[in-house]
Amino acid sequence: MDTIIIDGLSFALPLFIIAIGGIYSEKSGITNLALEGFQGFGAFIGALSAVLMANASGTDIQNLFYVALLFSMIGGMGFSIIHAVLCIKFKADQVISGVVINILALALTTFLTAQINSFVFGTASDKFQLGVSDRFTIEGLANIPVIGAVFTNVYPFEVIIIVIALFAWYLLYKTKFGMRLRASGENPHSVDAAGVDVAKTRFSAVLISGLLSGLGGMCFAYSISANFSSNIYMGYGFLAIAALIFGNWRILPTLAACLLFGFAKSGGAFIAQSMALPSSFTDLFMILPYVLTLLLLIFFSKSNRAPRALGEIYDKGKR
Amino acid sequence: MSDYIVEMKHITKRFPGIVANDNVSIGIKKGEIFALLGENGAGKSTLMSMLGGMYEPDEGDIYIRGEKVQISSPNHAAKLNIGMVHQHFKLVSDYTITENIILGVEPVKKLAGIFPYVDIRSANRKIEELSKSFGLEVDPTKKISDLTVSMQQRVEILKVLYREADILIFDEPTAVLTPQEIDFLLGIIEGLRNGGKTIILITHKLEEIKKVADRCAVLNKGKLIDVLDVKETSTRKMAQLMVGREVNLKSDKNPAAFKEEVLKVEHLNVKNEDGFEVVKDVSFTIKSGEIFAIAGVADNGQVEIADAIAGLTKVSGGEILLNGKDITNESIRKRTEAGISYIPEDRQSFGLVLDFDLSTNLALKQYYREPFAKKGILNKEEFEQFGSSLIDKYDIRSGQGIKTQVRSMSGGNQQKTIIGREIELQSSLMIFVQPTRGVDIGAIENIHKMMIKERDQGRAILLVSLELDEIMNVADTIGVIYNGQLQKIASSESLTTNEVGEYMMGAKHE
Amino acid sequence: MSKVKRKNNAKNNLIRPIRDEKWQPVTIPLVAILISFIAAAIVILIIGKNPIQAFYNLLQGAGILPKPSYAGYKSMLTDFLSLLNAMTPLVFASLAVAVAFKAGLFNIGVSGQMLVSGFLATILVGYSGLDAIIAKPLVLVIGMTAGGLMGGLVGWLKYKFNINEVVSTIMLNYIAQYVISFFIQMYYIDPVSRQSQYISEAARLTLVNVEMANLKMDLPLGFILAIFTAVFLKFFMDKTVVGFEIKAVGSSRNAAKYAGMNVGRNTVLAMVISGGLAGLAGVTYYLGYFASIQPKVLSSIGFDSIAVSLLGNSHPIGVIFSSFLVSIIEQGSTYMSSQAGIRQEISSVIVGLILLFSACGAYLKHKVSSLKDKELDQKESES
Repeated sequence: MDTIIIDGLSFALPLFIIAIGGIYSEKSGITNLALEGFQGFGAFIGALSAVLMANASGTDIQNLFYVALLFSMIGGMGFSIIHAVLCIKFKADQVISGVVINILALALTTFLTAQINSFVFGTASDKFQLGVSDRFTIEGLANIPVIGAVFTNVYPFEVIIIVIALFAWYLLYKTKFGMRLRASGENPHSVDAAGVDVAKTRFSAVLISGLLSGLGGMCFAYSISANFSSNIYMGYGFLAIAALIFGNWRILPTLAACLLFGFAKSGGAFIAQSMALPSSFTDLFMILPYVLTLLLLIFFSKSNRAPRALGEIYDKGKR
Repeated sequence: MSDYIVEMKHITKRFPGIVANDNVSIGIKKGEIFALLGENGAGKSTLMSMLGGMYEPDEGDIYIRGEKVQISSPNHAAKLNIGMVHQHFKLVSDYTITENIILGVEPVKKLAGIFPYVDIRSANRKIEELSKSFGLEVDPTKKISDLTVSMQQRVEILKVLYREADILIFDEPTAVLTPQEIDFLLGIIEGLRNGGKTIILITHKLEEIKKVADRCAVLNKGKLIDVLDVKETSTRKMAQLMVGREVNLKSDKNPAAFKEEVLKVEHLNVKNEDGFEVVKDVSFTIKSGEIFAIAGVADNGQVEIADAIAGLTKVSGGEILLNGKDITNESIRKRTEAGISYIPEDRQSFGLVLDFDLSTNLALKQYYREPFAKKGILNKEEFEQFGSSLIDKYDIRSGQGIKTQVRSMSGGNQQKTIIGREIELQSSLMIFVQPTRGVDIGAIENIHKMMIKERDQGRAILLVSLELDEIMNVADTIGVIYNGQLQKIASSESLTTNEVGEYMMGAKHE
Repeated sequence: MSKVKRKNNAKNNLIRPIRDEKWQPVTIPLVAILISFIAAAIVILIIGKNPIQAFYNLLQGAGILPKPSYAGYKSMLTDFLSLLNAMTPLVFASLAVAVAFKAGLFNIGVSGQMLVSGFLATILVGYSGLDAIIAKPLVLVIGMTAGGLMGGLVGWLKYKFNINEVVSTIMLNYIAQYVISFFIQMYYIDPVSRQSQYISEAARLTLVNVEMANLKMDLPLGFILAIFTAVFLKFFMDKTVVGFEIKAVGSSRNAAKYAGMNVGRNTVLAMVISGGLAGLAGVTYYLGYFASIQPKVLSSIGFDSIAVSLLGNSHPIGVIFSSFLVSIIEQGSTYMSSQAGIRQEISSVIVGLILLFSACGAYLKHKVSSLKDKELDQKESES
């Protein structure tokens, strides 16, 4: 039971922060199917900087966790510029742009990982070894039955994510930036008429989504995969999109959806383990989050309302 | 220093293919109501958009309060205390009135001295005071989606006043209002003027100018024709100057000769996407040779009635009979074949496939049957022949003939394409929704003539329009809708414009 | 004024090759390819290799240019036939994406649809011992049916529940990948290769090691079918009522509905056709190019086909040319990597770049037409 909660949380929270990134972009009116690529590329830059620094300074790579987090955010944000430029400046189809970016991220990071490994480290490896980040347990609270699991074996990034999520909520709903961002996704003409630059607002929204996705990707790399390789592209970005659709583009309900995914995943793994099934059966349980996504989409897609101007190309000069 | 608060000198503005303003010079005095009169496409809105910071002139200078300025953005215009009340409201429907008004100029406070946040509470208070002082009472915490059209317009006006504008530009403000609401609005405008504000009123309605304006500039095809003192000029003279020739806005029509019943709508109910009932128990009939018009303020269910008859919207209750046959649950295709032509409100998104060429769009309702297709294979030559003949018949103009992509055609020609296509179907019922919106005055005359001609040939015609003038002009029978319910059905001769207006606001019941 | 003009003139010279709207469907992709190869050349230079040599090796590896030496029974012809063999599933897959595109849908589930149809054809026919004359057609039928059903499911979910097809196809990709991996590992695993057991020669759609003129070559039977399919699709989209409706639905769902077309049926139908084509890609891949399935791996063809389709403007004949190009890049990369010492993965990067620049195509088009408008204005104001 405890493992379900512990593993579920550590999966759900990175997903949650990626989904918040998606909310930012989509609330501003830019469809974002590129989350998958952002999180992968962000994790790549984070992992790369950690590996390089560990190599240069001889520090244990575990201790470079925070450095990696920082660089993953920069990497994700940098990569998201492509989506922003394509969608906003070049007025490309936002869905196509998203898919293109995902493919490009996979190709680039796979190539670069192998290339850098052979160049810098002289090894023929297609991954950067990172290990698993340290965990901590809050004594006392951890002893509470059931809920105690929430405070047991916590990754530091879980705390970071919760703090950032709170800030993201405040920024989106309480500040003038957030007010303008949400208005851009509902009726960009009103924003323009109010003298606010729609393009700039949307540009920053996409960059924020890149930043948060990069962070989320790094957390996955430092926990469940313990390395960076092309295996980071497990569809997390798409699960995040599904989560924000159930969450009706709102932060708190999206968290609920992410938790559901997390517990479905850890619950499935737990059942497979406790029934002592052969390892190939884990494959069957792996599909749980994806099946759940489809089922939930069937129930929620129609009733939920996307931002009104989502996916529309905004042309200021249009008469 | 001149006595003008706004001076525009030798302004020229070009857009691809057209000269929107050609060497226009006007001066506006402080504290007057200055009207800009002209047809659609005369260049009124473009001229004022340069004052509002949406465009910059290609040539010419603008002086505000005697100083030469280059107004680069709406923000800049706001700094010069110029505000524009747009014809198409620019409101976020999910936001409250306050949130809409303060967007872009949000008052910010700091929580614990660190975290800035938008101070909605004090903004609410300020807007409430503002709205009271100008006689534009609103509840600032209400959402836009819960407001009527005229309330939304109040919000647009308050937006401008909140930004402390003293030069206010109204772009066709009365287009979507009832006569009573128009009177109220004109009263507000006069009040603003009396309070010292300068007002620029863009309109093509002569009565309004006559009622409130002090002076009036007439534009035609981008050129300034004259600036007139309103008191000393007759309406007839203004109309002549505006159009450049004598116009007869009253359509000549023979007395109607109603024959057999074509359409019968009984107890029709329609729900919108949110499950909210937007058409409630509506019943009416249209006979062959009759133009039946539904009058009403925007979003009162009239478009849904048209959609329901054409089959684009599901019916939640009631019956629709065409020539005595129940078509309530038929497919759109079956209804078309049973005899319904439909000129939709949104011609670009519904009426046409913009990426297809002209000939294809002209055959959009017949492509699947002979002679256009045989056994599932299309006959391109047939499309071309049909297209060419319709281009001539309806005078549709386009760059590359039948091969022109419809997207590149002008709005008027797009509308001709749709109307021509729908007339060719020879249906017993023709539905026109807002057929003259956004087309110029010559084309309006033409469309009205076509409608009357089709009526005289024995078709039943349903007209949905927000323009009361158009309805009074063309309709034989008028049904007035308010809040999804038909308030009154009567022959057009038996109703005055004012009466219709009262029914439109739900102020009068039968 | 003259400065502005000169700048405009410079711009005009740059865009001259892509000015003519009629030829834009060809010229814009060519520009995209050119820019991608320049970008790739820069990457190759950065890692200290010679890009000209690399591209030359690429063409050699693909059987377009002769290699300095060949192993026994091999020649440029056999290399070229291998290229066609590899290209066959890509043509089908790209046609699948193209048809969906025309209907305004984005089928990025091609690789999942390929896997499901390839797997079903493998276990139903590949292991059956049926005669070639029955087995080969049966493989095609099963592939088409399985893919078509899976595509149809996506179309139905889109129409009925408004589920974005990009999300649903990705979910189905993962589900297919894991479920099939489970079955292969439980029942059909070859303990040596760690892949599914090889299928019978009779069921295979590529004739392997056919000896002719002292060469051993692979004859991809599916290739001919792929070309026929492309030509048929062109006819279908341009000349039939159904194709017309699919295009209308893709251009404007509202206008299609208004014109009396059944939007739902056309959406599902387009996805059935798209899925069916993906199914053909699946069987020509898993039962043609290969003869077994690697568990837990989705073919990269599913993604390459998006690039191919975008590059070929979703035009069936354009798709043939663009799949040829992408196949050269993918197929030649092994040889390039062994000769020039550049990692094979760069081929995906080049494809990714082509994809990226193709996506900018709409912008180029828009830019050209707005420049033309400006010119028109200038001429008008001058006269």
